[in-house]
Amino acid sequence: MSNIISVTNLIKTYGNFTAVDGISFNVQPGEIFGILGPNGAGKTTTLEIMETLKTLTSGEVLIDGINVQDHPWEVKRRIGVQLQSSAFYPELNLIELLDMFAAMYDVHIKPMDMLKEVELEDKAKNYVKQLSGGQKQRFSIASTLINQPKVIFLDEPTTGLDPQARIHLWEMVRKVNKSGVTIVLTTHYMDEAEQLCDRLAIMDKGKILKTGTPKTFIKDLLSQGFKKEAKPEPANLEDVFLNLTGRALREG
Amino acid sequence: MKKIYKKPNQIRAFFVMMKYFFLAQTRNPATFAFGFLFPVVFISIFGLIGGSTQTLNIGLPSGSNLNNPIVQTIKKQSYIKTQEAPRTDLEKQVKQGKLSGIIEVQAAKQAQTAYTIKVTTSQANIQEAAGVNSFVRGIADQTNLELAGVTNPPVKVEQTEISGRKLRYIDFALPGQIGFSLLSTALFGTVFGLIYLKKALILKRMFATPTKAMTILLAQGGSRLIVALLQTLLILILGIVLFKFYLPHGWLTFVELLVLSVIGLIAFLGFGYFMAGLANDENSAGPLVNLVSLPQFLLSGTFFSTENLPNWLQPIANNLPLSYFNMAVRKITTEGGDFSQTIPYILGLLAWGALMYFLASRTFRWE
Repeated sequence: MSNIISVTNLIKTYGNFTAVDGISFNVQPGEIFGILGPNGAGKTTTLEIMETLKTLTSGEVLIDGINVQDHPWEVKRRIGVQLQSSAFYPELNLIELLDMFAAMYDVHIKPMDMLKEVELEDKAKNYVKQLSGGQKQRFSIASTLINQPKVIFLDEPTTGLDPQARIHLWEMVRKVNKSGVTIVLTTHYMDEAEQLCDRLAIMDKGKILKTGTPKTFIKDLLSQGFKKEAKPEPANLEDVFLNLTGRALREG
Repeated sequence: MKKIYKKPNQIRAFFVMMKYFFLAQTRNPATFAFGFLFPVVFISIFGLIGGSTQTLNIGLPSGSNLNNPIVQTIKKQSYIKTQEAPRTDLEKQVKQGKLSGIIEVQAAKQAQTAYTIKVTTSQANIQEAAGVNSFVRGIADQTNLELAGVTNPPVKVEQTEISGRKLRYIDFALPGQIGFSLLSTALFGTVFGLIYLKKALILKRMFATPTKAMTILLAQGGSRLIVALLQTLLILILGIVLFKFYLPHGWLTFVELLVLSVIGLIAFLGFGYFMAGLANDENSAGPLVNLVSLPQFLLSGTFFSTENLPNWLQPIANNLPLSYFNMAVRKITTEGGDFSQTIPYILGLLAWGALMYFLASRTFRWE
C-alpha cells in the first residue's frame, strides 16, 4: 500500500491505433518519477489518463489508492496538473488566475504567497503573455500547488526553455519535491531525466521498455559490455555556454 | 483506508468564474469594439436619420414664366424645395433622381385655356414622381374651380388628423439594434471564445480541477449575460437621453426590455454553443456564424421593416429567433402594448433555444 501511483496493464486505443499498449508501473511517495521517450511514444496520453482528462480503454490506475475511473472527482482534488502549453486566460493577471483556480478547487489561498514560492511576486499584476518561457512554467507549477496536492504531473516542463531557465526550473521542481510532493514528469531530454529524476520509465511506441533509476540503467548497460566509442570530454559546449553567460540565474 | 467521496462544491466556483470571465471580457478589445462602440455609432446614425422629413425637390426652368400664381403657390408649400436652373440641367438631375420633377407653366395655347402646366418626372424616383403629379393635379383642380367660379363644389374633401406620436426611424431601429447586439455577443463571443479556450488548452486545464464542465459553461454563459445586459442598458440610455427614445410606460417598459433581453440572450446562446460544437477552428467558425447571423440581420426586421419582403419569404422571416425578439420588443415600445402580448414571441424564442441546446448537447466536444 506504499505506492502513491499504481498503473496496471493500462491500454488506450483510438480506433485501430493503440496509443498506450499495456503498461504497468508504480510510483513511490516523495519520488520524482520521469517518463522518458520520443514524441508520440504515448507519454502525454498516459499522463492525461492519470490526470482524469482521458478515459482508459482497459487496465487500472490508482492514485493515492483511489481508482481514477471510478472516482475522478476525488482524484482531481489530490493532484496538480501542468499541461504542455501554459493554458491560462490571456486577459487575467497572475493574482486573478490563482484566485479563480482556488475557487475551482474550493480552497482558500494567499495568491501572493504562492507567487513568492516561485519567485514571481513582482509579476503579480502581469498577464501570462507578458512572462518569459521560464516564468510561464514557474507560474504553471504554482498553479498546480493551489490545492496542496499529493502528486503533481508536469508534461514536458522544460521544452523550449533556454539552459538557464531549465536549471532554474529544475531547482524549483526539487524544492517542491522536498516539501513532500510526489512529482511525475515527462521529458525527451536525457540530461533532464538523469539529473532530475529519482526513477525513470523509458517509453516508446506505447510500451514501457525499462523502469529503474538512471544509475542502474547505465550500470546494466555497462555490465553488458557496452563501451562508448568517443572519449568522454572533460567539458562540453553547454558548460562553455553556461560559464560565459553565468550559471547564476539571470532570468527575471 | 478511509475515504470520503464528497461532491465538489460548484456554487462558489460558478460565481468566482463568472466574475473573472466577465472581467476578462471587459479587457478584450473585441468585446469593447463590437459590443459597445459599434452600437453607439449605429444608434447615433439612426438618431440623425430620423431627424429629416420627406420633401419634394422641384425644378423651375429659368426663363419660363415664374411670376404666375401657380408657381407662387408651389413656392409657398413648406414641404417643397424649388430650384431655378436651365431646363437641360434640370432634366439631367431628374434622370439622376436628384430632383423629384420639373414644373413649367406655359402660356395658353388655345383660346379657352389660361395656362398649361407641363410636368416632367422620371422613373428614377417613382414615389416622388407620383407625389409631384398628384400635387400638381391638386393645384390645377383648385385653380380650375376658382376660374370657373365654383365656390361650392358638389364633392367636398374633409380632412381630419388623429393626434398621434410621430414615429421616427430611431423608434424602429433602436429595438433592432438591441437584438443585433445580443445576437452578435451570443454568437461571435461564444463561438470564437470557446474555440480559443479549447485550442489554448485553457478548458482542459480547468477540467483538471474538481469543477464540473457544465459549471464552467454556465459561468461562461452567465458572464455573457452580464455583458449583454450592459449593452442593452447602454443602447437604451443613449437612445433615451440623446434621441428621446419613447418608452410608452416609462420605467416599466425599461424593466420589461431588460427581461426580454435576458430571454433573448439565453435563446441566442444556444446557437452559440451549437456553432461552437460544429466548428473545429476559427476558419470553419467564420462562415458558420455568418450563415446564422447574416440572414437574421437582413430578414428579421432589424434595421428595416419586413413588410416589403416577397410573400414567400414572409413565413421564414417572421419566424426567425431574432424576428421574435424584435417583434416582442416593438410590441412594448413602438406599439405601446402590454407585456402579456409578448408571450407568443417569448415562447417562440424559447422553442428555438430548446432546439439549439438539444443540438448543442449532441455536437459539443470538449477538446
